[in-house]
Amino acid sequence: MTNMNLYSRNDKMFVYLNMFLVGVFTLSTLYPFIYIAALSFSSGFEARAGNVVLTPVDATIAAYKQVLSEPAFWRSYLNTFIYTIGGTLMSLAFIIPGAYALSRPQLYGRRFWNLMVAFTMWFNAGLIPFFLNMRDLGLLDSYFGIIIGFAVNGFNVILMRNFFEGVPSSFEEAARMDGANEFQVLWKVYMPLAKPAIATIALFCIVSRWNGFFWAMVLLQDQEKVPLQVYLRHTIAKLSDDQEFSVTLIDAPYSVETVTAAIIVCSIIPVLLVYPFLQKYFNKGIMLGGVKE
Amino acid sequence: MTMSPHNAPIVEPVPVEDPYAPPKGMDRVVDHLKREWQLYVMLLPLIIWLLLFLYKPMYGLQVAFKDYSIFKGVANSPWIGFEHFETLFGNDQFIRAIRNTVIISFWTLVIGFPVPILLALMFNEILNATYKKWSQTIVYLPHFISSVIIAGIVITAFSPSAGIVNTFLGWFGVEPIYFLTKAEWFRPIFVGTGIWQEAGFQSIVYLAAIAGVSPTLYESAVVDGASRWQMMWKITIPSIMTTIIIMLIIRIGNILEVSFEMIILLYQPATYETADVVNTFIYRQGLQAGQYDFAAAAGLFNAVIAFVLVISANALSRRYSRTSLW
Amino acid sequence: MRKLSLLSGLLLTTGLAAPALSDGHLQIVDEPLTLTIQMNHKRYPTYQEDWPVEQAARAMTGISLQDATVGANITSDQENTGKTEALNLMLASGAIPDIVGSSRLKDFVNQFGPEGAFIPLNDLIDEHAPNLKAFFESRPEIANAISAADGNMYYIPYLPDGKYGRAFFIRYDWLDKLGLEVPQTVQEYEDVLVAFRDGDPNGNGLKDEIPYFARQWPEMIRLVTLWDGRSSGSDTYHDFYVDDGQLKHPYAGEGYREGIKNLARWYEMGLIDAEVFTRGSSSRDYLLSENLGGATHDWFASTSGYNTSLADKVDGFAFKAFAPPASISGVRMEEHRRIPIKPDGWAIGHTNEHPVETIKYFDFWFTEEGRRLANFGVEGEHYTMVDGAPVFTDEVLNSDQPVNNQLYGIGAQLQARGYFQDYEYEKQWSNKFALEGIALYDEGDYLIDQFLGVAFNTDEQKVYDKSWGSIRDYMLERQQAWILGTGDVEADWDDYMATLNQMGLQDVLGVMQSAYERQYGG
Repeated sequence: MTNMNLYSRNDKMFVYLNMFLVGVFTLSTLYPFIYIAALSFSSGFEARAGNVVLTPVDATIAAYKQVLSEPAFWRSYLNTFIYTIGGTLMSLAFIIPGAYALSRPQLYGRRFWNLMVAFTMWFNAGLIPFFLNMRDLGLLDSYFGIIIGFAVNGFNVILMRNFFEGVPSSFEEAARMDGANEFQVLWKVYMPLAKPAIATIALFCIVSRWNGFFWAMVLLQDQEKVPLQVYLRHTIAKLSDDQEFSVTLIDAPYSVETVTAAIIVCSIIPVLLVYPFLQKYFNKGIMLGGVKE
Repeated sequence: MTMSPHNAPIVEPVPVEDPYAPPKGMDRVVDHLKREWQLYVMLLPLIIWLLLFLYKPMYGLQVAFKDYSIFKGVANSPWIGFEHFETLFGNDQFIRAIRNTVIISFWTLVIGFPVPILLALMFNEILNATYKKWSQTIVYLPHFISSVIIAGIVITAFSPSAGIVNTFLGWFGVEPIYFLTKAEWFRPIFVGTGIWQEAGFQSIVYLAAIAGVSPTLYESAVVDGASRWQMMWKITIPSIMTTIIIMLIIRIGNILEVSFEMIILLYQPATYETADVVNTFIYRQGLQAGQYDFAAAAGLFNAVIAFVLVISANALSRRYSRTSLW
Repeated sequence: MRKLSLLSGLLLTTGLAAPALSDGHLQIVDEPLTLTIQMNHKRYPTYQEDWPVEQAARAMTGISLQDATVGANITSDQENTGKTEALNLMLASGAIPDIVGSSRLKDFVNQFGPEGAFIPLNDLIDEHAPNLKAFFESRPEIANAISAADGNMYYIPYLPDGKYGRAFFIRYDWLDKLGLEVPQTVQEYEDVLVAFRDGDPNGNGLKDEIPYFARQWPEMIRLVTLWDGRSSGSDTYHDFYVDDGQLKHPYAGEGYREGIKNLARWYEMGLIDAEVFTRGSSSRDYLLSENLGGATHDWFASTSGYNTSLADKVDGFAFKAFAPPASISGVRMEEHRRIPIKPDGWAIGHTNEHPVETIKYFDFWFTEEGRRLANFGVEGEHYTMVDGAPVFTDEVLNSDQPVNNQLYGIGAQLQARGYFQDYEYEKQWSNKFALEGIALYDEGDYLIDQFLGVAFNTDEQKVYDKSWGSIRDYMLERQQAWILGTGDVEADWDDYMATLNQMGLQDVLGVMQSAYERQYGG
């Protein structure tokens, strides 16, 4: 079905027009990244003066030198990986079995349990009670606390449950006939079929972990444990303070703008790499698996 | 199709019996648990997590009705009833902020909700794998770029002297407009920026849903001579409808949530009239740091409204499309 | 072991020499005493025991501090509210350290001190802190300004030194080129800005000059002083001011009305940057380096720096301070000045078992040696005494790091510590153009007294919270509308004043006045 010969003239028009429109939108969304990259390779002064538009002005790698030579940068980069990988695995461990159970019609109190999940999407305790709860659980200032404390998000559970509900029941009948239990049905039938959904949930977890900074900021005391986003905020706060009050920094080859841009570029690269990897699960036909409705 | 109890239909069925009704007799419970204990083992960690991390600290919500002192603690702070709510609703600017929030959210919903779906459908129609892969990767990039930078780009783009928008309008003889100080332009700019920034990322969930559509459906459609356009309308969209509805219900529940950071960066006193939302109002009143009771009252109001909307949307959806959050 | 920045690491090795300076006359305790401390500031989120300055202080006093900071990692972009958040977490967690040092401390201790979370300092100072006592006796207005509504002092502030903050700047080379004199009156100022607009002083043949610009748009509003208006009473924008013992708000005065009318005219005429509301922090760099901007109102130190950094880029570049032009009634006024007290500093937690030793420790930083240590670092390492005055060493002055950065790195100039800054510290590395400008302002004595704030009691706070935020929003909305020409200040004024009163401006002024009289003795 991917053979162009199968298409009529109208279809071809449709296909090309579609490609063109997607292309225009894509280019527009590429701009911020180009801008940031250009900024990160520009001189501090030009960046601050707003003279960078598309390409580096007064090109220099001073910002990268400044960023990459800082051990705290690498440390926080590593931390972000720890939180992202650990946190995503933890999330999936809670969400997949839980969402599967919630999707089964024979579960008693199913509506109640689902409501209990959905309720947390709108009602939350607020900063101080949450903080005190984490303290009482002994989870302040620890990697584990950050990883487990944000493992579940109601939206992801509901999304996952919805995907499981969408799997036609015919798929599991063979397994049932063979006497498979719920664990086996989930593992052998649903998990392979739900790959696009799992990839989506995993991506959402990765992205929120990767971008997240607020709770790391609140719960972590030790500078050694902070993720990249918190490090970035510290750096911005310090450099903008310097710039405001120090005459000597007018001439520095880097500025808060270029250093910020360099850190953002560094932080986006892994995200750029992970998406194509997950993307293959979004391709059509993943549900083939030999069983037809 | 056999009617085995293990069958999971595509959409949730209208329950034959009230699920909250207790099973008749202990025997049935024991019998059920014997047969289905594995499901409860799977569910248990999730429920324990929710209780331990989210429900346990919810006692904190009561500060909305208290004169909360952090030093005294929640339990020892005096009750003051609805005073915080009265203060909020006694303020004309708060009322204006609610109105603005709803209007901005409404437009974000009406225009912004379909865009990611459309984008996912358009991606689905791209046949060149490389083109598809690259464009998909790129469109979700703005999601990773902080509001400060996106706002900087927007301010530059709409600048009267150097902005691309005014340059473009200039070709048609339009005098430069100082967009960001014009109350009437704030909402279109803000809503447009949000859609542009998030559409790519939001399309992922629909791409995944489309990936779940059985290819056999398309194969038979091709045999029947259906065009791409027809297949999109007859197969793809109906197949992802439950996902669309679930997303829509959640989105309706977020009607009072507006990207606060972006508004702070883009608005001016000159545009408060159309731009000031609940969050920015609370922020500007200097209530964000320390006045947890006041913020909790505003948050609770927000959550209750959102939840009422979600309950209604959920009930409607349950009735008419048999899709629901719970 | 915490990681040190390269700089403080290097200095650490040499800082150990400090004990040699101590002869014991500043010793507070015989047995070493350790106190816990929350020390939170954006430049140094936690207390570092190995700061050379702290090592020296420890050797001199016998008191060691131990870090117990909660919320160390909380940062925030706007207004530094993250530090308040950190203080709130500390308080909520129930473990208040012996000493609490932070930015944004004043409102916090003045709220929770009276509730019992912090120890009142007045009696302690009277009995055990001769240096602090002498300081407050010589500056009673500062003692008044930091007091809470119950009349007690709960914190020792960081006290900035040096009066001068912002000044009027203008392109002297453009004036020369157009054959103009430095403007002395508001009319001359207007004429100069018109000439900048029309006379092509940058010589590129285009009418692209922007006569007046500002990084923060309220600096443009500050020009209302040229028509005898006011824009703020303190270093915070849109603040109240004191006029002959009466609390007033600048945006409800006749001079303001006249000023806004004229600023709207200037904006319309193109004398003020058309994009003043959105150009933001980049405007100074951009407009100066592109040779487009003619005049502004900005900080002495940083603005003067462009004379050096743009010397090669813009031919003949001379952007220097000039005296405030005389207003329509002939008054020359520089409304902005550095505030003499900051809301930053330190306080004593209620669970501290050694309040006497702690206040003596606070007092140590107000001794001559302590103050020098806080300002200049360790003698022999960071400064030497020349003719009885501290002078930074060449290593400090000639480093590629800004001097204040180096000082933070060694634990000097920490604003989460209560100390009295010595302007001499800054003067030694200030740009010569800045010093020239300051001398000019010093000569003319253009500064005015500032409003140092009031502490409300609960009832006053309620009145203020209820109305003030909305009133200020309304004032700013009207202000921008008038400048942008979407409203006419003359036509709107009576309605505007009526609305302000209806929104409760008089009530707010009433509670400000009663708090002011209580605090400053009328």
